[in-house]
Parts: sequence; structure tokens; C-alpha cells
Amino acid sequence: MRTRATRRHKDWALAYALLLPGLVIFSIFTFWPFLQNFKLALYQNPPYPGLPSTFVGLSQVGDVLSSVTFHQSLISTLLFVVMVVPTGLLGGLVLALAAHKALKGMAIFQVIFSSTVVTSVAVAAVVFGTLMDPVVGLLPWLGLDPHPAILSNPTWALPAVAVIAIWQFLGLSFIIMTAGLQSLPEEVLEAARLDGARAPTMFFRVTIPLLSPTIFFGLVVGFIYAFQSFGQIDILIGSQNAEFTHTNVLLFYIYRALSVQNDPGLAAVLSIVLFAILLSVTLLQFRFLERRVHYAGN
Amino acid sequence: MIRSRTIAATAALCLGATVLPLVAGSGALAGAASTPVCSPKALASSKGPVTINFWESMPRANGEEMVRLTDAFNASQKKVHVNLVVQTSYQETFQKYRSALSTGLTPDLAMLTDTDTQAAIDTQSFIPAQTCMSAAGFKTGDLLPRALAYWKVNKVQWGMPFGVSGPVLYYNKKAFTAAGLDPTKPPATLSQLVSTAKVLKAKTGAGMGMVLDPWHLFTWMATGNQLSVNNSNGRTSRANKASFNSSAGLAVFNALAQMKKDGSVQTNSVQGASRYDNLLGAGSGKFSMTIDTSAAQGTIEQLLATGQYPNVDVGVAPMPKVFTTSSKGGVEPAGNGLWISKRSTPAKQAAAWQYEAYLLSASTQAAWSAGTGYIPLRTSAANSPSIKALWAKNPGFKVAYTQLTKGTQDAATAGAVIGPFEDVNGAIANAEASIFVKNIAPKTAINAAVSASNGIIAAYNKRLGVK
Amino acid sequence: MPATEQPTDVVRRRRPRARLVARYLLLTLGAVIVLFPVYMALVNSLLLPSQIAHQPPPLIPTNPQWHTYPDAWTGGHLGIYLRNSAVQTVIIVAGQLVTSILAAFAFAFLEFPLKKTLFIVFLMTLMIPFEVTVATNLTTVSSLGWFNSFPGLTLPFLATGFGVFLLRQAFLQIPRDLKEAAQLDGYGHLRFLWAVAIPLARPAIAALGVFSFLGAWNQYLWPLLVTGNDNSVRTVQIGLKQLLNTQLDQLNVSLAGTIIAIAPLIVLLVVFQKQLVRSLTAGAVK
Repeated sequence: MRTRATRRHKDWALAYALLLPGLVIFSIFTFWPFLQNFKLALYQNPPYPGLPSTFVGLSQVGDVLSSVTFHQSLISTLLFVVMVVPTGLLGGLVLALAAHKALKGMAIFQVIFSSTVVTSVAVAAVVFGTLMDPVVGLLPWLGLDPHPAILSNPTWALPAVAVIAIWQFLGLSFIIMTAGLQSLPEEVLEAARLDGARAPTMFFRVTIPLLSPTIFFGLVVGFIYAFQSFGQIDILIGSQNAEFTHTNVLLFYIYRALSVQNDPGLAAVLSIVLFAILLSVTLLQFRFLERRVHYAGN
Repeated sequence: MIRSRTIAATAALCLGATVLPLVAGSGALAGAASTPVCSPKALASSKGPVTINFWESMPRANGEEMVRLTDAFNASQKKVHVNLVVQTSYQETFQKYRSALSTGLTPDLAMLTDTDTQAAIDTQSFIPAQTCMSAAGFKTGDLLPRALAYWKVNKVQWGMPFGVSGPVLYYNKKAFTAAGLDPTKPPATLSQLVSTAKVLKAKTGAGMGMVLDPWHLFTWMATGNQLSVNNSNGRTSRANKASFNSSAGLAVFNALAQMKKDGSVQTNSVQGASRYDNLLGAGSGKFSMTIDTSAAQGTIEQLLATGQYPNVDVGVAPMPKVFTTSSKGGVEPAGNGLWISKRSTPAKQAAAWQYEAYLLSASTQAAWSAGTGYIPLRTSAANSPSIKALWAKNPGFKVAYTQLTKGTQDAATAGAVIGPFEDVNGAIANAEASIFVKNIAPKTAINAAVSASNGIIAAYNKRLGVK
Repeated sequence: MPATEQPTDVVRRRRPRARLVARYLLLTLGAVIVLFPVYMALVNSLLLPSQIAHQPPPLIPTNPQWHTYPDAWTGGHLGIYLRNSAVQTVIIVAGQLVTSILAAFAFAFLEFPLKKTLFIVFLMTLMIPFEVTVATNLTTVSSLGWFNSFPGLTLPFLATGFGVFLLRQAFLQIPRDLKEAAQLDGYGHLRFLWAVAIPLARPAIAALGVFSFLGAWNQYLWPLLVTGNDNSVRTVQIGLKQLLNTQLDQLNVSLAGTIIAIAPLIVLLVVFQKQLVRSLTAGAVK
């Protein structure tokens, strides 16, 4: 009797010990900072560190949420996501479909198509920055010569950065779509083929619906990916030009608030907004997939 | 038994190791509290050389000259050793300084750009140069009063000028001749600039290259003897309203719009890859005129010396005044100034001041100016043989100096001090660009810039807790 | 069974060649689009600065400027930055693997009070993206004196909810009987973990390793905020930004820098492609 109890208690002690390292890290660097945001949002900060901050309650939150800069930032972020995610997913799907056949040399193509997933934001920024440079870049050769230069242009800077993000996203999108295609139940596809379904019908009536969980997963991953992109903007456009070129996406705004304007209060308010948006999207995914599972079960 | 003794010994060591520095440190702190700020006595009584960290961002040839001067200083005496820490730009220097304020890793001496003046004061982390001047019994002597005036706020000399330049008009004498204009009489006022650009464009196809730099607007305000912000340009008390949409500012915006209409100007941004397009264009003959810093002259000379541009003969003229060539008003100083940290020990502060005094001495100023093209800040330096020879050989290098020594000395010509200057500059640059990119009317654009600036200044002051 | 050929069979036999060609064309086009930017970077890194602005761009460098690579390595300090990135990445990967393995084991094999609650707590960290915690983390790290140091660079990332989720799934695949048999053989929990569970879950652990590696190596925001003036801790991503800013007229050197920065990852991609795919699709296929 006693040995079983002691063994159980020993198990508990071991379990807590195993969880402790993770819990400590999370408490200090994830949960505590997240909660601190709610406090930071209530304090107004001086432009420079070392000077005292003042309690202003919710007025700072109200000021930020009603400011033009914030609205512009949301619009820029939304436009960016809309440009990057569907295009990136579509590109990945096309490449995955093309490479989804046991032909000679396919492995090489698959490595090539996945390769952009290992490019970092800095690499992509420098590489594309050169291509888009008004003096040494390729755009004049392609007949594009906007004034001001594309990366300083209020209309074209955001699409330019979106192109870079799409290229980077292609690798991830390809991998996700390929995994989805590989998981399609062969029997269902074969049955549809035997029924005489022609290629376009097959594709739109059978393949795509079966792929929809994957596509939805890709949308969520893409959405999160697009929301977290700001390195290219920092390197190629810079913090000073961001608002003029309409590239002040939410995460870049947070970075500027923290690092350039020394305003943790502003950064905290923006972080809470970012969290709320990402949380809603993720919850939507769970809700959708729940329904999907029920549908497939029926 | 042995184990517990070892433990006890280790514990004692650890305790000692933690307590000792505290005791020593508090001794130093107590010492610091009683030693006056920037005290030369503290420097004199310190054992061994005092090392100071100097953050500067002089590029290329200017950076090399900086190294030369500093090495000479370090070699000439044993009390002070200056350690140069090179940053990539003025902007980066201030941004890094800002984050250093929270990590405690601030430099002892910092080179800050002119527009950072009020911001530097607001960080409450610098001591005014005046304190060091009084402590060391330093007399300004023949240091150019107009240069000093820029860094003097509310009657206190906060920073000391060091790398000072001014905007000048670069023009192609050959293009002037080809267009039937007198190459010895470049445009002296803004309206002459506009009409000359039109003629040049029509007759030679090469008009004006214009970098949309808000600095030019502020300089034009100064030449018109008008205040860009209230409270005497922010110098008698903190500025809280912008006023650059006065007649001078409006004249500038109107001129830009007119040149756009005439098709005689091509603009580039002051940020990013196209920053030097106007200069490159002036050197290559794409433009017949441009306005830019006198500090770029060395590069232009270098470019032309290659012989690749035989159709260009560069003339350097003073920045055209905004209105008629009246005697009031004048160009404001620009460039960088030196700031001493409040957080350094008095010995380091005094060491930093000694280095500053060296940099501002006549012989160093002569060498610095000759090596970089910056304005020599003492009349004795300007009269030195090396500078006189340089100016005789190339009179263009004298223009910025003459510009700075002429004109009245008042709040308008001292230039504006604004806390959030960088953001205000952004608003002005956007407004100027909108004339070209969005076809906004000049009066609308400048009023938009003023109201944006007012909002920026109000938000900044609110964050500081001042009105 | 129909003895005669159906029309669809004939169609299927006549079309394959055209279809095949079309497919290969599409694949090649895709490959060109994907590879073109990096290829241009490679080419430009070997050109003279004056050649880079040439329109149209040269596709093959005729006078390769090999010196740009040593220049980027030494003058651009890329060697140091690569070392720093490697140290940072190894610490983070090791940390994430260890904390994830330990926690996942507890959730998969042990019973203890509050187990469900604690698991939800771990999962909740997936809801809180790092950017949302940056402000306070910066203050925490600075006040602990870890600004511009490896602890400061790596500590916030030593645990990952995703890793716990992934490895718990993998451990749950291990049959209960195996654990019971091991217990009868006298294996304690930790010995079972080390000798049985980890080897059996190796594919998932490898996948997590690759995922962590990529995430750590490609980090931008945190190293940007936490590394300081000197080169002691600066990672290769920030180093690239620095290189671009300081070498405005030597674009070929900056581009050589990017090729250097990306080369080790391409090698790893080719070697670890399977693990990478597994880790990235862990949530996709339901």
C-alpha cells in the first residue's frame, strides 16, 4: 500500500521537475510580459529612457486606437496580408501540383521549390533590394521606372515588399501543399476517375474540397507569417520612411515604438491589438476544422 | 570536516568578493558627489591616463582625418586617451545613444547632428559645455560667434560646434555660358534661381537638380530673418508652435511648385538610395545647378578630376537668399556638435573637454578644414597659411565660411531648436514631395506641414510632461 | 468488360507526351522564378560595381571578382557573425529540445494532479506570439545585465509550446505495453526516456530540431533589439543589414555576404529535407 503511494508521489515530483524548466522560461518570458502589456498600456513614457513615466489610465489606449497612424498601420497590414497570403498559397499549390508526380528529376524540383523556406528575412531583403534599386537594379530594364524610386514610393513600396514576402513564403506554401496532396485518399480519387470525371471537374469538385483543410491551414500559417514580416521593411525602407511609403505595418510600428520612439506604452497597446487579431484568426481555424471534421464524419 | 571548512571558505570568499566592490564603489560614489562636475583638478589628480569613449560618425576621408587628429592628440600627452567608436550615421548614433540610456553604456563624448540639439538637452543626460568652459577657464576667443550661437539654448552653451558646413549652390559655368547667362553672376535670390533654372532647361536641357531636404527650408527661413518656430526659434523657451508657413517658407514652396510647372527641376529624396542623385547629376551634366552641403565639395572635385565629365566646370556660389539681397538674416550653421555626458566621472568629463579644446584650437581647425572641407571655426584658422593657400587655389571652398561670417546674429539666424526635429523634418519632406507626387498646391502643402508639425511637437511635449 | 477501347482510353494515350512536356515546362518556369533572385545575387557578387548597373544584366560573370567573398568575410566580419549565429542557434536548439522532451515525456507517460491544466498552459504559449512580449522582455534582459550577451540573446527562446505538442504526439505513439514491459525489467522513468522513448521518437525530435534551427538562425527582431555596438554577439542577420549600410558603393561585397549567409542553410536543406517537411506540416494533415 505504502510503496504504491510513494511511487505515485515520486511520479508527481518527477513530473513537476520535468515541467519546471519550460514553465520557468514561459513564466518569465511569455506570460509575465504578456500580462505586463496591460499595465504598460496605462503609462505614458517620455521620449528618452531614464526619465519618469506617468500614469494616464485608458486615455493612452484611446489616443492610440483613434490615431490616424494606427488606422493607416492596420490598413497597410491588411493590404500586405491580402497581397501575400493568397498569392503565396496559390503559387505553392501550382508548384505542388506540378511536382506531384513520380517523374524523373522531381526530387530536385522539390528541393528547389522548398528552398525559399531557409532564406532569412535579411538575405531576401538584400537580394531583392539590389534587384529593385533604382540605379543598379533590373526594373529600368523591365520598363519600370517610377518616380520616386519604388522603395520610396507611397503607392508601390508596399507591393514591392509584398513581392519579397511572397517569394519567401513560396517554399513554406509548397511544402504544406505537397504534404496535403500526399495525404489525399487515393481511393476517393480513383473512384472519381473511374466514374469518368474529367480533369477540370476532378480538380474543382474533388481535389480542392479534399484539400480544404490543408488550404485552410496554409491560410492561417500564411496569415501569421505575413503578420510577422517586418525585417524587409526595416532593411529596405527604414523607420523614417515607413509612414510616408505606407509600409508601417503593425509589427514594424511596434518595433519603432520600442526602439526608435522609446514608447513601451504605445508598443504595449499595439501588441495587445496584434494578439487579439492573431487569436481571432487561430480560433477561427479551430472552429472551421471542428465543422470540417463533423462534415467529413457524416 | 574538511568539506564544511571548504564550504565556509568559499562562502567567505564570495561574500568578500561581493562586499568589497560595493565598499570601494561607494567610496568612489562619495568621492564623485563631492568633486565638481567637469573638474580639471579631478583629471589632474587621477593616476594614469584617463580613457574616454567618443562616438562619432564621420565617413570615409573625414573619418580618416578624425583618426589622424585623434592619434596626434593621444600621442601628444599622457593624461587623456581618446577611443574612437565609429557609427554608421548621425541617425544611428542617436538611436544607439537612446538605447544606451537604458543599458547604462553611454559614451563619454558624443558627436550629434545639429537637429538633435533640443533632444539631447531633453534626455537630461549631458552637461552643458559651458560648465566645462567655466571649470577650465576656457575663453571662446575668435571662435565664430554665429557657429556658437546654434548650440546655445536659453543662454546656455550646451554643445560645441565641430564639423560645421552650410548649403551652397553648385552650378555648371559651361552650361551658363551655353545658355547665354553670365557664369560670374549665379542666381543670388530664390526668384532668380527659379528663372535661371527655366532658362537653363530651355536652352541646354539641363535644369535644376533638387534634393528635398527640409534643412534647406530652415536655411531659407534664416536668410529671410524669419522664425521657423515660436519662442525665438525655441531659444528663449521651449517651442510649441511651428511658424515656417510665413512669407519666406511660402516663397520656398511656391518656388518648388513653379519649377515643377516649368519642368525645370528633378527632385530626389533626402533618404535612401537616391540621396545623392542631385549631386551625381550635377557632376555628370544632367543638371546645371543644385543646392547641397559645402561638405560635398571634396567628392565633387574628385569626381571631376577623373576627367570623365569634360563638359562640366563647377562653380560654387552662396545659397541664394529667399528674398532680395538684404543685409538682415543669414545662413544658419549646420553640421555636428560635441556633447559631454553627465553620467561620466568628473575626471572623464574634464578629459573630454580637454580633447574638445584641442579639436577647437586654431591649428587643429586648420588641419580639419583643409582635410575635409568643413568650415574652420576660428578666424585665426581661416587666416592660417594652409587654409589661405587652399582657398586661393579653390575659391569654392571659401564660400561656406564667408556665408557664415556674414549676416546678422539673432534668433532667426541661429536656427530653430525643436525636440522631435526628425519627425518634423519628415512632415516637411512629405509636404514638399506631395507637391511633385500628388500635385498638391504649395500653400496647402506648407500649411499641412505646419499643422502636422504642431501635432508632432504637442505630442512630444506631452510625453515630456511640459507644455 | 468492354472489349473495345473507350474514347477516354485513346485520349489518355495520345495526350501524355504533350502533358509531360507542359508539366516539365511549368516546373522549369517555377524553378527559374524561385532561383532567379538568389542566382542574380550570386552573379552580381562576382561583378565589378560598374557592371552591376548594366542593363540588361549579365547572366554570367566574365571577370569574376572572387575577392568579394574574403572581403565580406573579413571586412564585413561575416566570419564572426556566422560564429555568433551558430552559438546562438545551438543554444536555442539544445534548450528547446531538452525542455520539450522533458515536458512531453511528463505529459505522455506520467499521471499527476493538474496535468490537463498544465498542458493547456503550455499550449497557451502558442497563442502568444513573441512580438507581443518584446517590450517587457527587453526591460527584463537589460535589467539583468544581459543586454548584448548570449544569455540575453537566447534565454527567451529556450522553451517552445509547439515542441511540447509535437513530441507529446510522438511519445503517445509508443505502445503502453512497451512502457509496462520496461517497468517490469526495472527501468525507471528517466532510463525509459533515454533508452527507449527518445530513440523511438527520433524522427519527430529531428523534425523539431530542424524547425528550431531555422527559427533561431533566421531570427531578426530580437537580435536587432538586443545586440549592441560591437561584434561580440551580433548575428549574421543583423550583420547583413550592417554590411548593406556600410558598403553602399560595394554592392557586390554585400551580395557575397548574403551568399555566405545562406550557403550553410542550403546544404542543410538538401540533407534534412524530410525532417523539415515533417516539422512544417505537423499541424496540416488531420
